[in-house]
Amino acid sequence: MFNIPKNAIYKRINRRKFLELGGGVATALGTGSLAVGLNSTIMKTSVQASSSPEAKWKQYAGSKLVFMSENTPPSFAIRDTIKEFFDLTGITVEVLTDDLPVVLQKVGIDVRGGKADFPVFYSQDKPIGAALADYCADLGKFIKDDTLPQDPEGYGADSWFDNFLDACGSMYEKGKIVALPYDAAIACTFYRQDVFEKHSKDFEKEYKYRMEFNAKTTWKNVLDYTTFLQKMKKAGQDVPYGYAQHLGTFAWTTQLDIQRMMYSHGQWLDFKIDDILGSKKPGPTNWGDASSIEMMKQYKALADVCHPDNLANGTLELNTVYQSGQIAMQIQYHEFAASVEDEKTSKAAGGKTAYAPCPLGEASWIKNGGKAVNGTNCGIGGIAINKNASEDIQRAAFIFATYATSKKLQYNVLKGLGGTPTRKSVLAEPDVVAARKRPTKMPNALTFEPVYDFGIKAPNFVLGPKIPEVNEYHKILHAEVSKCVAGKQSPEDACKAIKKQTDNVHDI
Amino acid sequence: MVPTGSGSARPTTHNGEHYVDGARVIEYLPSSLNALPSSRYYLWLMAPALILLAAITLYPFFWLIWMSLQNVGAGPETEFVGFKNYIRLWADDKFWTGWVLLFKYSFFCLLFEITIGVFLAVVLNGHRFENILITIFLMPMMMAPAIAGLVWYYLFNSTFGWYHWLFQSLGILGETSIIGSTETAMAGIVIVDIWQWTPLITLITLAGMKRVPRDQLEANMVDGASAVRNFISITLPNIYPFLLIAIMLRFMDNFRFIDVIMRLTGGGPAEVTKVLPVYLFDVSFVFFKLGRGSAIALTLLIVTIIFGKLLVKVFENPASKRIDQGN
Repeated sequence: MFNIPKNAIYKRINRRKFLELGGGVATALGTGSLAVGLNSTIMKTSVQASSSPEAKWKQYAGSKLVFMSENTPPSFAIRDTIKEFFDLTGITVEVLTDDLPVVLQKVGIDVRGGKADFPVFYSQDKPIGAALADYCADLGKFIKDDTLPQDPEGYGADSWFDNFLDACGSMYEKGKIVALPYDAAIACTFYRQDVFEKHSKDFEKEYKYRMEFNAKTTWKNVLDYTTFLQKMKKAGQDVPYGYAQHLGTFAWTTQLDIQRMMYSHGQWLDFKIDDILGSKKPGPTNWGDASSIEMMKQYKALADVCHPDNLANGTLELNTVYQSGQIAMQIQYHEFAASVEDEKTSKAAGGKTAYAPCPLGEASWIKNGGKAVNGTNCGIGGIAINKNASEDIQRAAFIFATYATSKKLQYNVLKGLGGTPTRKSVLAEPDVVAARKRPTKMPNALTFEPVYDFGIKAPNFVLGPKIPEVNEYHKILHAEVSKCVAGKQSPEDACKAIKKQTDNVHDI
Repeated sequence: MVPTGSGSARPTTHNGEHYVDGARVIEYLPSSLNALPSSRYYLWLMAPALILLAAITLYPFFWLIWMSLQNVGAGPETEFVGFKNYIRLWADDKFWTGWVLLFKYSFFCLLFEITIGVFLAVVLNGHRFENILITIFLMPMMMAPAIAGLVWYYLFNSTFGWYHWLFQSLGILGETSIIGSTETAMAGIVIVDIWQWTPLITLITLAGMKRVPRDQLEANMVDGASAVRNFISITLPNIYPFLLIAIMLRFMDNFRFIDVIMRLTGGGPAEVTKVLPVYLFDVSFVFFKLGRGSAIALTLLIVTIIFGKLLVKVFENPASKRIDQGN
């Protein structure tokens, strides 16, 4: 093969030697790979119930977890401070973040394929939790396990804000906990106080009541305010439009948008099912009844006087429209207060925006004999553990879940990035109490009164619908509501189309 | 050494050789000639490639067919349902609407891209700045479709989009963005496709135009043909095969590329841009109805193949047709 000098001072490697060397290298590489591979799964140190707290945290040192999450503040905060968790536990956590629909797709493919590439994942209550509940480990067994480190505040319903544990943790089976509350998005009203004050007198002349926003403000009032501002706008006055809805491309938030209005009027629900547990067999939907048709008419009436680009505005775009000063009101999730109060990017910052509960139902619009409430809904982002993962990986993931939902972390996120805590105790911190009033360094705290003190409490809070086919239901609703808003079908036809397609999904 | 002959053939030697005009002629097969390998030999040679090909194409294809006969529901269980998924598609309005929108979208994209692309190629061909201009025109094509969708999403945005502001200032658009109206959203996604993929048509057509015989063009001009006549009679028939490739590529791309649509409109507003592949994506990866999704995918694949064949037939080179008829 090669030219060997006659007087070579080295020995030529014969074929046998060459094969021996090759074999040795291959064995070494194989062993190395195995070691690396083992390192990425688990290196368990046995721990006894009587071990020290430190040993409990450290029992899975050397293992690795991948956390697939939505791109929300707590996930960014965890990613930025992940070394702290590593120092505490020795567990390496890779935090991957993406838009919620992408998280659903990635996690869905992983768990449905029987894999555990994402042993721990973000479980937004309805789109992920309700759809993938069967693939989530029951966290109850870990909570009772005294060989695992536990949060000093515990995990009972009282540790979290009202209904939060039920919202993301209870799915179809009583007693099973599929996720722990990790972050929250609760709807409340953001409105331009300066615009309201400026035009209140003119409004009162025409409508015979004051232009203001509080817990008693009804959906009919919102329609009046929006109509009034639109009229002024069309007359060439320098005013923002009144309102805009959550349409755009994100189907779930459209469902939430119309649900708030529906629930406010007689606590209308999409299905005749338990709102907390949900149901795998929800039966025929309530769409198409008199209440739903009436609400669809009012939703359309409101749409007709909304911001002209209403159909293009999803939740994020809607907030941008509000930030740019183009609308005077939006019902938005309280986590957006931080961006609205940012003077660098928002024309609505600097004390111009005030926060109120979601509107109350208008008594004259109620068709089912129920009562008027301030229909408030949510997206409670839970942290769930993949059932396909090995027992040890699940236990390691629970240690991470305990850390990720701890008071300390939530408090730090609220202070640093504008998070939305799920543990009640965070609100008792003196600087958080102080931050509820302007001037504040925690803008999200400005929403705590309408959200935590009012919106999430009975009878205003609606959790569901929790059904396995929830994402298809959201898409159906989004499509038909959009068609109605675009004037392509009547409210009656929209409700009938929703009923037909939804019942078809459930083989009814 | 080869003998130099006088031109006449010499007698055949003992091993069957003779010389004609100095050239050695062998009238038998040498005994040492290798025997032709059997077809099995070639099969073994091709086996690794075939196995690889089967693993990456045939296996998923047959798996797709198998999946389309299953019900993959919300839970982990699956059940064999025969042709139920296909039967269900017949009654699925979104499936049929998806087809109509897909054809509409593909038709307008192809129409404008071919027209503009060929026009640009004609203008650029032989232009003194041809190289620079073609490089500039190719830039959109180098952008990932998802990024292109994002860029145009921002340009079209009614709050801060520069194009929206421009069109609004010119009185073309009102306060509603192009992707926020059911009347204009389809135009919005077609515009982005035209912007990104017309350069491909231009590039392919330009390559074809370089091969148009100059003598034919010059002869035609000597006969008094105008530039347009020259283009129709000489250039167009010569670039036919290139155009066919371009059309085929773009036709198939339109049937499968949904990056831009997903980013720009997500199939909305009011489902006016929900072309079939977008619906397929929803069914498969949002609803996780993989059985139904496979049935849709298979129909999409079959129709793409049929239309591909039809396109080849329609755009078959007239010159080769004439030759075939002559034979």
